[in-house]
Amino acid sequence: MRKHLKRGRVVLAAISVVALAALGLAGSAQAKLTGEFTKFQFCPYTKAEVRRCIYSPTTGGEVKLGKKVVPIEKEVVLQGGYGEEAETGTEAGFAKFYEATNGVTLSKAAQNVPGGLAGIVPEASSPPLVKALIKFFFENKITGLTSTLELAKPASEIRVSEIHLAEEIGVALKMPVKVHLENPFLGKSCYVGSSSSPINWNLTVGTTAPPKPNEPIKGTGGVTEFFEEGQILKLKGAELVDNAWSAPAPSGCGGILSFLVNPIISSQLGATTAGNNTAKLKNDIWESPALAVKINNEEHP
Amino acid sequence: MNRKVRTLVRGVFLALALSAVFSASASAAPSWNFAGKALEGKETIMGGAFESGLTLPGLTTKCENFLYKLTIENSGGTGKGSLTEMPLYNCTTSSKFCTVKTIGAEALPYASHLSTVSASNYIVIEGVKVAILYAGELCSLGGTTARVTGSAGGLLDNVAETATFNAASFSATKTELKALGGKAEWTGVFPTEAFEWHREQALTVS
Repeated sequence: MRKHLKRGRVVLAAISVVALAALGLAGSAQAKLTGEFTKFQFCPYTKAEVRRCIYSPTTGGEVKLGKKVVPIEKEVVLQGGYGEEAETGTEAGFAKFYEATNGVTLSKAAQNVPGGLAGIVPEASSPPLVKALIKFFFENKITGLTSTLELAKPASEIRVSEIHLAEEIGVALKMPVKVHLENPFLGKSCYVGSSSSPINWNLTVGTTAPPKPNEPIKGTGGVTEFFEEGQILKLKGAELVDNAWSAPAPSGCGGILSFLVNPIISSQLGATTAGNNTAKLKNDIWESPALAVKINNEEHP
Repeated sequence: MNRKVRTLVRGVFLALALSAVFSASASAAPSWNFAGKALEGKETIMGGAFESGLTLPGLTTKCENFLYKLTIENSGGTGKGSLTEMPLYNCTTSSKFCTVKTIGAEALPYASHLSTVSASNYIVIEGVKVAILYAGELCSLGGTTARVTGSAGGLLDNVAETATFNAASFSATKTELKALGGKAEWTGVFPTEAFEWHREQALTVS
C-alpha cells in the first residue's frame, strides 16, 4: 500500500514537472511586445544582421502609370528589418532589407482603378474576338478593375538609406515592384512588371529629377515623433516620391487572348517609359533598433 | 469755407499718417547702441546661454554650455552681425536611452540682422546648421546625425541685456528651424555683453 502511494507521488510529481515545463514553454512562446512595440511584431529582430525594425503603412497617394492614375485608398504596409548600411561600393549608404517574419513584407491591397475595365480595354475599339468576349463581362457588370502593388523580387532586394531619409536628399528606399491588374476577363496573371523585368522605384523624400515630360516633385520626411522614451521614432506624414521610373509593357492579360489584350492595355496606358509615370506614397514610417524590440519582447514573457 | 477747412484737416491727417508710416519703417531697422550712442565700427559680443534646449517632438536635447561669439556693426543704419563661433558642450537628452555623441555648428559664420516687429526688437540669425549625432543602442536615433537648419529669431531685452529665443520670438520673426524633416523648437536665454571696446557698457537696441 505504502509502495503504491510512493509510486503515485512519483507519477504526480512527474506530471507536475511536465505540466510546469509545458507552461514554461507556452510562456516563452507567448512572449509579446507591448505598447508601440507591437507594430514590430513581424520584424525579424532575432536575426543578428538586423539592426533596425521598420513598419510603414501607406494610407494615401497615387500611382500614375502612363495615362492611368490609381489613387491609394486602401492601406499598404511595408514591414521588416534592415541591417548596417554599406560603407563602400555601389550600395554605399544603403542597408539590406530583411523580410517580415510572417512573409508579408509588402501587404497586398487591391486598389480600385478609376474607369474600371472599360477604361483599360474599351469595347468599341477592341478587335472582334475581344469585343465578343468582353461584351459578356460588360453585360454582367463584371467591369470592376483593381490594381495591386506587389514585390517583384525577394524582400532582400529592397534597400533603405537612413541618411537620405533623415536629410531629405537622394534615394531613401529602393523597391522592385510589379502591378497586378485584376478582373475576371484579364485572368490571374495580368501584370505590369515581373521578377525578371521589375519596376524599380527609387523613392525619395527630397526632390526628384525626372526626364521630361515629368517635372521635379518633392517628397517630405514628415514630422518626427518619439515613443517609448525615444526607443521608437515615427516620421508622421512622410511622402516618398519617384517620377523617373519606367515600366515594361503589360503581360499575361486576357488568358489565351493575351496576344490580343496585352497590346490593347498597352495602348490605353500610353507611354510608360521614364518620365511618364509617378509614384506618391503618403505614409507614416515607424522605426526602432532591433535590440530595443528584442528586449521589450523578452521583458514581457 | 467749410470745404477748405475739411480739406486742410484731411491734409493734416494724411501728413500725420504718412509720418507715422515713415517712423514705423524707420524703427523696423534698429541699430546697436552702447551707452546710448550708435555703435561705430565693430564690436564683439559673446556669452553663454543661461539655459537652452532644442526639442524635436518628444525628445529634448539640452546643453549645459551653449556659448556664442557674435561680431556686430551698424551698416546702412541697420544693426548687423556675424555669428562666428557657437560651441556646445555637455549635452544630454530627455530620453534615458539616447545620448549626444557629438554636437557642433556647421557652415559658420551665420549672418544676422536686427529687426523690429510690433515695437519689439529682435535679432535674426540666418543659415543656422547644427549637426547632432545621437548614440545609444536602444535609441531610435542612435547613430543618426540630425541636422538642425533654418533661421532663428530672438527677442532683445534692453533692460536685462539678453536675447531670448522661444516659440513666440520665432513666430514674431517668421523664422523656423527644422530637423529630421520636422519642426524643431529652440529655447534659450543669452546675455548680450561686449568684450572689446565697449566692455561693461550697456548694450541697447533701438
